Amino acid sequence: MNTESKRIIRILISLCGLFIGLVIYISYFQIFTADRILSNSYNKRQWIDEENILRGEIIDRKGTILVNSIITDKGQSRNYKYGNVYSHIIGYSSREYGKSGIEASYNKELLNLSDLNPLGELKNILSDGPSLGNNVVLTLDHELQSYAYKLLGNRKGSIVIMNPKTGEIYSMVSSPSFNPSTLKENWGDIIANENSPLLNRSIMGLYAPGSIFKLITATAAIENRESDDKFNCEGSINIDGYVLKDYGGVAHGELDLNEALVKSCNVAFSQIGLEIGDDKLRNTAEKYMFNRSIPFDLRTAESTFPDNIRSKPELGASAIGQGKILVTPLNMAMVASAIGNQGEMVKPIIVREIINHNNSVLKKYKTELLSKVTSPETAEYLKSMMIEVVNEGTGKSARLDKIQAAGKTGTAENESDKEHAWFIGFAPADDPLVAVAVIIESSGKTGGAEAAPIARDLMNRAIQILNK
Amino acid sequence: MTKKLLVVRSPQGLLLIINILALLLLMTFNIEFEKNILFIAIALIFTIFLSSQVLYKISNGDTYIFLIVTMLISIGIIMIYRINPALGFKQVIWFGVGIIVFFISYFTIKYIKHWDKLLYFYLGISLALFIATLIFGTKNKGATNWIIIFGSSFQPAELIKVLFIFSLASYYVNKEKYNSWKYSRLIYIAAVYIHIGFLFIQKDLGTAMLFFLLFMSILYVYEEDRRLLLYNSAGAVVLSVAGYFLFNHVRVRIETWLNPWTDIGGKGYQITQSLFAIASGGFFGTGIGLGHPAFIPEVHNDFIFSAICEEMGVLTGIAVIFLFMIIVYRGVKIALQQQNQFFRIVALGITLMFGYQAFIILGGVTKMIPLTGITLPFVSYGGSSLVSSFAALGILQLASEEFDVEQEDEDEHRIQEDN
Repeated sequence: MNTESKRIIRILISLCGLFIGLVIYISYFQIFTADRILSNSYNKRQWIDEENILRGEIIDRKGTILVNSIITDKGQSRNYKYGNVYSHIIGYSSREYGKSGIEASYNKELLNLSDLNPLGELKNILSDGPSLGNNVVLTLDHELQSYAYKLLGNRKGSIVIMNPKTGEIYSMVSSPSFNPSTLKENWGDIIANENSPLLNRSIMGLYAPGSIFKLITATAAIENRESDDKFNCEGSINIDGYVLKDYGGVAHGELDLNEALVKSCNVAFSQIGLEIGDDKLRNTAEKYMFNRSIPFDLRTAESTFPDNIRSKPELGASAIGQGKILVTPLNMAMVASAIGNQGEMVKPIIVREIINHNNSVLKKYKTELLSKVTSPETAEYLKSMMIEVVNEGTGKSARLDKIQAAGKTGTAENESDKEHAWFIGFAPADDPLVAVAVIIESSGKTGGAEAAPIARDLMNRAIQILNK
Repeated sequence: MTKKLLVVRSPQGLLLIINILALLLLMTFNIEFEKNILFIAIALIFTIFLSSQVLYKISNGDTYIFLIVTMLISIGIIMIYRINPALGFKQVIWFGVGIIVFFISYFTIKYIKHWDKLLYFYLGISLALFIATLIFGTKNKGATNWIIIFGSSFQPAELIKVLFIFSLASYYVNKEKYNSWKYSRLIYIAAVYIHIGFLFIQKDLGTAMLFFLLFMSILYVYEEDRRLLLYNSAGAVVLSVAGYFLFNHVRVRIETWLNPWTDIGGKGYQITQSLFAIASGGFFGTGIGLGHPAFIPEVHNDFIFSAICEEMGVLTGIAVIFLFMIIVYRGVKIALQQQNQFFRIVALGITLMFGYQAFIILGGVTKMIPLTGITLPFVSYGGSSLVSSFAALGILQLASEEFDVEQEDEDEHRIQEDN
């Protein structure tokens, strides 16, 4: 072969190399990069459906419209009527910042999109004008939600109010919040804010539970303790050189399980922990959905009970809700609910039904049993102790005028130098209508002083509204 | 003939089936039935079928390149019609014109002799066209490379591409004659850079790059003075770096290539929209009519490949790349088998023109290399591009044939002289 032909073939090979490089490049792009760039807000494909479909409304349980879309000359505009009150639940739907909350998890329903299929697409092409999305009806009560939002005010924290038997969430507030209507203007501030206003503390916030965890330790104790031996509290206990104190160093003397819970005795509960061991404690905690993901319409964090507890001091601390135990407020509202509901924990729901623009129901969400936490007898026993907590123990501020409430306070030490104030409970005690979980983050006060009064007002108001 | 038509296994049969299926789909795509689409379907299938039959009667050369090109044309017309029926209709007309030009170019080149003796003529026409563009040119997509004649716009660079290949071939065929004068090599290189310079002034960077690659390839194969290769490569590097710092439009191209995401709404808009289209198609595509390729500006033109990837899938995109690869392979084979040196160089030049042009735009719209606006041969919408590509294809078809003895004699004589 002459030089000319050799050179021509070399050029052919390099050109083929370029083409094959192009094939590899495109395949690589498709496999590794494509998914990532598709969600870019400049990709109008994401929005093309939304321009042609009037996005559905989000409505509370009584029919109050919380969010709707209106057609303006510039296209659709999403109208968040109550701004901050629902920021974490409803979330936002923004071209710049994407979607969150119900706007994200029920996007398809709000747009009345079935899963993408060619036939449906063809129907969209053929039909004229904007079609209508479906409406999402929440289990929330607008009056109660607004009340809870106001009550929490500027305090950092969270409130969850739910029906212990059906799992319906009546109210869920997280503070600080943001206003989805002015997201564009305030995005920089929201992102820069060190208190993370975008975080839905009710379901994504993980807190040390403190003494409210004693309900779980108590459950484990009732189920697993062989003797009814009393505990002796001298105000502090030395576990392998680690000193665990009671609040204020008060010595409670000799007490049984009931008295220990009512007085929220750390010494007694850490003794229980040491007595029954971490496996049994973990087992009970996991029945209460610790280390389990809670199925919910919004993304939830998992409450954690550590996989292995290596030292006795850690076990003692865990039994009183300190150590490495972390919980979400929603999970703690479910703990209270389960005790109020004879030991049966139900799946929390926040969306009641999907209706179309003619108000006919397309889908209804029903109550489901999530976990059988304990026997009805044990639940009854726990309830009686919780009643005493409210009547004469640490939770006196949660006492209602005419209705018997049940509850447990918590004052949780954490990385900040101020404790979290907790209260979980339910009312009326004999046949509960509502369960609540209240946490005031880094409050510095006890659960009984700070969280219990809020819980009292919430339970009062909730029962009033529900009995209307 | 009908029997032959129905043979599915023959490439023509496959092409026919693809065309009928796609065109049927397009008929249902628009709600109102248009007479146009029926016309397009019949005209397209008839033209492809008839022209390939005629070609095999008159030419004993390559039987693949024309088929591959009609496949590319079909994919292009289907996509253009789906994006914009009016343009699709026009493209079918241009395709008809292209076929006529293909045969005209085939016969003209075949029956007129001495194409290798017209170097000054080619250079003169090119220069005249460049100057005409400079004076009468209108701006389009940031490049001033169109002139309007009798109400229809025309891109002179498309014609100059073919003339350029003829000039290169004429120079190397007669290099003894030209090189007898001391400075002729300098003049030759100056002429090449005047071409590239004019294109640069028009801001037609894609075509400038194409000319440079063509020149370098021919230089690599035929230039005896190997130092020239080195000088030109070094010169190109210096010029590109200088271009980057001196000219804003060059800088913008590079910056939007390196990171288009910083200015998606502005300079990076086109390329990012193209990437969104390719990404949303996946390997199998959304299906014709179910994607949104119209979000890309100039989608029917430079960005037709992104639309193909979105609606027909990346696998179809890869198939298009392989079709170009086969054209390049067949073209190089034609060049290697051609005994006449002038047509050997011309065949190589035309093949490389198709190959490089395809790579420049395919690499550009996928962000593999910086994006420079240039058409995808036979697929993009555009009369000038289609007609000039068909003219070039006609020449390549001719070059695939064995020539008469007289020319071969001449050629052998020359080879002996070379040695």
